Order: sequence, then C-alpha cells, then structure tokens
Amino acid sequence: MSENIVFTDVSRFYGEVLGVNRINLTIPPGITSLVGPNGSGKTTLMNLMTGLVKPSKGSIDIRGVGPDEPEKLFRLLGYATQFDAFPRGYTGHQYVYSTLLLHGLAPAQADRKAWAAIERVNLVDAAKRKVDAYSKGMRQRIRLAQAIAHEPMVMVLDEPLNGLDPLVRAETIALFREAAARGAHVLVSSHVLHEVDMISDQVILLANGYVVAEGGIRGVREEISDKPLEIVVRCDKPSEMASRIFAFDHVVEARIHADGQGLLVKTKDASAFHKLLNRLALDGIEIDSVAPADDDVNSLYEYLIGEEGVTR
Amino acid sequence: MSGFDLWRRQVLTIVGLEWKKTLFARRGLWVYALALMPALLLGVKSYQDSKRFAEFERVAQSSPQAPKVTAQIRDGMESVELVRLLQDNGVTFNRFNRGRREIIRFNDGRAANELIFRDGKLVAKRDRRLASLGADVQAYAGIFQYFYIRLAIFFGCVGIFMNLFRGEMLDQSLHYYLLAPVRREVLLAGKYLAGLVATIGIFGLSFLLQYWLLLLPHSAAQTSQYLSDGGWGHVFSYFGVVAMACVGYGSVFLASGLFIKNPLIPAASILVWEGMNWFLPSALKKISVIFYLQSLCPIVAPPSPDVPEPLKLLITTAAPTPGPIAVAGILALASAILVLAARKARQLEINYSSD
Repeated sequence: MSENIVFTDVSRFYGEVLGVNRINLTIPPGITSLVGPNGSGKTTLMNLMTGLVKPSKGSIDIRGVGPDEPEKLFRLLGYATQFDAFPRGYTGHQYVYSTLLLHGLAPAQADRKAWAAIERVNLVDAAKRKVDAYSKGMRQRIRLAQAIAHEPMVMVLDEPLNGLDPLVRAETIALFREAAARGAHVLVSSHVLHEVDMISDQVILLANGYVVAEGGIRGVREEISDKPLEIVVRCDKPSEMASRIFAFDHVVEARIHADGQGLLVKTKDASAFHKLLNRLALDGIEIDSVAPADDDVNSLYEYLIGEEGVTR
Repeated sequence: MSGFDLWRRQVLTIVGLEWKKTLFARRGLWVYALALMPALLLGVKSYQDSKRFAEFERVAQSSPQAPKVTAQIRDGMESVELVRLLQDNGVTFNRFNRGRREIIRFNDGRAANELIFRDGKLVAKRDRRLASLGADVQAYAGIFQYFYIRLAIFFGCVGIFMNLFRGEMLDQSLHYYLLAPVRREVLLAGKYLAGLVATIGIFGLSFLLQYWLLLLPHSAAQTSQYLSDGGWGHVFSYFGVVAMACVGYGSVFLASGLFIKNPLIPAASILVWEGMNWFLPSALKKISVIFYLQSLCPIVAPPSPDVPEPLKLLITTAAPTPGPIAVAGILALASAILVLAARKARQLEINYSSD
C-alpha cells in the first residue's frame, strides 16, 4: 500500500471556472504546506482530497484509499475545514464526541478521546459551552480537535493557525511536528509565508489553479535557474572578497554591507560559490557566517508568482 | 466490528443526533401548527358538543314530558296551541314575532326544535340533533383524508424531510457528516429514519389527540361500545396510515431535497399529481402515495364536497388495494426512491456558495 498522497492529472472546473488544472503531485509524509493567494486552488485541492468535491478529471490516492470511499478515508484522515458553520446547538465537546460516535466508537471510548483532543487544543474550560458562543480562534481550535481526535495518519488543515494566539499557535505547530514525526501526513494551507517557512518540510506553490512549484523550499529555490541565488557572507575583508569572487562567471553581483562587515552575493551556482568560499578562507579571509538570503517561501513566491500574492 | 454492526451503530448515532434537531428546530414550528390544527378544531367542537350534551341532559331531566310535546306537533298547528302545550308540560321555550311570522324555539332533550308560523299556523319545522358518534366518525374520515393526509402530513413532510439535506446545505453545516467515516447510503438511511421518528411522532401523537377529542363528548358507554365494535381497529389503522404517509412522502421529499434546490417546485408538482388522483385512470392512480393510503383508511370518505359537479363526472374508481399490498406498494415506492436518492447522495458535493 502506498504511503504517499498521489494526484494524477487532476482537474476540477466549476462550470467554466477553473478550480485546479492538471495537478500531478506525489506528497510524502511530513508537513507539507499548500501556499498560494486567495483563489489559487488550495481549498479546492483539499476538498478534492477529501471527496467534498469530485474531480472533473484524474484520480487521487490517499495512502491507498480513494476520496470516494468515505468509510475508509475518514478513519485515515481528519480535515479541519475553513467552513465556519457548525451543527446547530452543539457544545464543543458534543461536536468532537459525536464525530467519534460516527466512527463507531463506544460512548465511553468516544468521550475519552474527545476530551483528549480538546485538551490538546487547550479548550477544556470552554468545551461544555455552545460552539455558537465561541470566538473565531476557539472555533478554529475545536475544528482542529475534531480533525485530530481519531489520531489520523493524514491531517488536512485549511489555514489552521488563523486566529490562534501565539501560545496556542506554538502548541499547534508542535502538534503538527509530532504527527509528522510518527510518519503522518500533515497538509497545511496558508498564505502567511513566514509561518510556512517555519513549519514545512515541503511546499506546494499554487497560482491560478496550477502547481507552480513543489518540493523542499531549498530544492525549489535551486531549480529557479533564471534568478541568481542570494547569499549573505559575514567576513572581516569584504572588499577583498568582492574583488576575488568577481573573477568567476557564476558570480553576478556582490554588494558590500553598509557596516563594512560583510557582503551580499548573487550567484548562479551555489555549490561552486561554496567551494570558492572554502578557498578564500584558506587564503586568510575570516568568514563568520554564510546564509542564504532568498531561499524562503517569500522569495520563491516573488520569483514564481509575483508580488500580489505575498502576505508577510 | 462487522460492517453491518458498524452501519447499525452509525445509523442509530445519526438518528440520535438528528431527531432532536428536527423536532426542536425553530424553522419547523409551522409543522407543529399544521399537525395540531385539526386537533384544535376538534377540541373546539368537542367543547361545544360537551356543552350541548350537558344542556340536552339537563332538559331531559327537568322536562321529561318535552318529547311528548314534540310528538304532538303537526302541520298547520296553531302557535297558541303549541304554546299552551309547552306551558302545560313545563317546557322552556323562546318566542319571537316578526310581523306575520312567528318563531318558537325549544329543546326537548333530544333535539333543538325551531318552528316557524305564518299567520299563526305552522309552516316549517327544523330540528337540530346532536351528532351521533357514528356520524362523527364518518365526518372524521373526511377530515383525515382531505386535510390531514393530503395537506398536513404532506406539507409537514416537505418541511422536515426536504430540510434534512437541503437545510444543512443552506446552513453550510452538511460537511460535518460528509467528513465522517460514514457511507453516504448509511447517512441517508440515518437521516431518513430520524425524519420518520420526528414526523410519525408529531403527526401520530396529533392523530391520537384528535381521535380522543372526537370521542370525548360522547358518553362512556357509547365510546366503549364503539371501541369494542371495531373502533380500536380504526385507531390502529389510522395510525398506520399516518406512519405509511410519512414513509411515502418522506422518501419523496428527502430525495427532492437532494435533487432540487427549490422545495416549492417538487411540493407543488406532487401536490397537483396527488390531487389529480381521483381523475386518473386506474393504472396511473397506483403511481401515487395517496392511492395506497386511501386503500388503508378504515373508512372510505366520499369525494371532497368541494369538487365541482362537472368534475365529479370525471372521477374514476379503481378497486382499493388490499391492505398488505398497499403497505408493500408504499414500501416499494419508498425503497425505489431512496435507492435513487442514495445514488445522488454518493455524488453529493459541498459547494455552499452555489446552494
């Protein structure tokens, strides 16, 4: 049985409006972020995975199960949607507990698991209150509790950190990491890029219904060959370093920092530049640090999609 | 846990979650009004009849000779003679003069009599007796068939069953069920059963209340006699008809809620089809819920008095279906519709913005 989530040539149209088009993806376990501006197709991709919408074309396989088999799929998968409506009159506890009953659990077991999930999202005190009276952040957390209560191996979470306070946000990220560490898929959609940088093992960049890049953030960055990589080097002799590296074709630009303690280098070949740095170090230039300056999602976004979708 | 055990547990869970929502939904208040309307009318009738029965009883005891007076009334009798007879026998009466016309009213303990005299001579006589239990039971057959099944239960099922899916699409909460490890067929079965629990509960209890109110003004002896002479059979049959109506119309409107966004279109179309049933050829009659329900009713009500005379000529009759076949017919119709609905449910998507 496959351990991956596989999209094969998946398209979805809403009448004549494009949802997503020709998606081919293989997503390994770990934390994967779906990144894209509003309307890029993130939620459609998640809804396709969970059978809430059907593909117009193509097929989807989630660890060996199709989205049209809800009785199997939702034992494996938990989905915290962006839909902000709840069954009328439910308390937070009822919301999670009744879902577990639908899994076929005995009431005592469902109750135990419901409380465990509610505790994980730090909502025990409010669990007996009606969801209608919850704040946006609390509703977000109770949806998360419902999605994780049955300890799924695939967690699909649409903007899960929206509306959470910093403490809960940190706890939630820890929860994602813990799930990823036990071999689960954690698929998170977000348009907040620094968040994605912080938590993701891999990213899928979407724009206008198309996947524009996928993979580890660094790997994706390296594949963008028409944009030189930016590297910040902190050293004691930035002027000397600048003059020596300019002799090499792969170095496009070198700019000395205002403080005179380092320089920003743009290179077309990162590995050749790193070898060059070793040689310079042996020649007596003291190098304090080397750090990529544009292999974050934010930069990828600007390069691949343009400025309009970026939220910092 | 075997597949069947899991489905059973899931269906029961869905019924448990849904029936309260259905019974106590604010948007369903009009269903209660519809269900209780005949009970309210029968309650008013029952109260008035009880008062009349008491009045007749009082007259029968205070003026035991009154029926003799009634027996002596004849055409052309003079008003003064009648007044004398009434006074001699101690019967209370009212007398009104309208020029040459004179009206005398009195109660003889069996009927309320109204006698009209012209130039002092009796020209017309009317008496209003209390309806017998048999007449009330017969009248109720009409109420049950023309109002209770065709309108109250029909629209009650529109309100409850169409909302099971469509209402949650409008509330944008249907994804709650679609994200659970439940086969869509099981979800449909659970929601349908929850709808049945709610509708049979509401309309069944209302029917029992109506029947109790119908019997209430009549004496204990009459009621007891009626119940032991087949009355209990009527009660059970009517209750069964209520249940079968919910089964039949419930399946139709549950499916309609899945296929069609606007509930008025299927409700109006089916209402017209069911209303046309009297005039359909016998083969077509059978493709309706009302035909089987009428076959199950213990007392056949005549065609509605509201049908215009020319249309009465177009009424066709089909032999009523025997009870077991009628029940099987409704169950078969409901099953076929539910199978179609289940197929549709499997294709159901969440696209709240377009719902």
